[in-house]
Amino acid sequence: MRIPDEERALVVAAQAGDQQAFSGLVRLHQRRAYTVARAILTVHEDAEDALQEGFVRAFQALDRFDVTQSFGAWLNRIVANAALDLTRRRKVRNTEELSDALQSPFRDPAVGAELRERLARALLQLPDRARSVIVLHDVEGYTHVEIGEMLGIPGGTARSDLHHARQKLRELLKDLRG
Amino acid sequence: MTDELKFPDSSGLPRESGSIDERTAQLIREAYLPPVASGEAEHAYWNALESRIMARVSGGVVRESDAGWWSVLGGWAQVGLVAAAALFALASLLSHQLGEPEDQVATDAGYEAVMPGSTFINSAPVQLITASNRSTQRDAALQYVLSY
Repeated sequence: MRIPDEERALVVAAQAGDQQAFSGLVRLHQRRAYTVARAILTVHEDAEDALQEGFVRAFQALDRFDVTQSFGAWLNRIVANAALDLTRRRKVRNTEELSDALQSPFRDPAVGAELRERLARALLQLPDRARSVIVLHDVEGYTHVEIGEMLGIPGGTARSDLHHARQKLRELLKDLRG
Repeated sequence: MTDELKFPDSSGLPRESGSIDERTAQLIREAYLPPVASGEAEHAYWNALESRIMARVSGGVVRESDAGWWSVLGGWAQVGLVAAAALFALASLLSHQLGEPEDQVATDAGYEAVMPGSTFINSAPVQLITASNRSTQRDAALQYVLSY
């Protein structure tokens, strides 16, 4: 993957200690990295925490980053690790919390409340990793290999998780489709 | 105009066979966005988040290359090292304080060997008993400290 010159310049400057340059990298990548954290953690506040922690870890380890590689992919792996760490520390997820998290941000008021509710519940019934994989792959467009690197699993396992997650989601939502 | 890097919108990509349908994907995508309004408010949200991240980065975060050998140790290892150093210092202090009378006894014993009777008048037996007791105390103190 070709690294944009602008991004490479920011990385090199940040490695030399330029915090403004690192701020530029945050601006470039925070949205995409947020979706990675959110796919793993589901709750907005947790995703924000993991995102911040991920950027701090990335800053600390910046000297180890190879500028010929994709900064975004490297950062996403770090953010995903921060999110997984948070998941291990906070195993508290209740239906009501996620349901609220899912209902509040829908921007299209035409989307039925029942559909939102069912979707929220269906996602909750998936195993954590399967939910992360289906969101990262089918919604965010990451490849199995990229997802495997982020979640610390083989690409084949990500593919298998995805298959099972799709089956489960379809089963849970079958009477809403059409 | 912003200087944000624009990633391809995955919603426009041809869907892989077996993927969840586009409507469901779009609903999940929307659900997993930050709960902020679109437009200016959304822009303000990302600016604020960037500021918070940079505040943490600027607030004393040490780069691995600047941290030196100390950073190689984990948090608890650093605490353990400090505690071990403190115990060593305490043990040295106790040993130094309790060892002084014994040194005196050893000196007297040396004189006694060279000049028999020279230290007898100076209550040498009393000093020997005292030294023995203090030696026991010192050993007990050291064992107590080292047991931690």
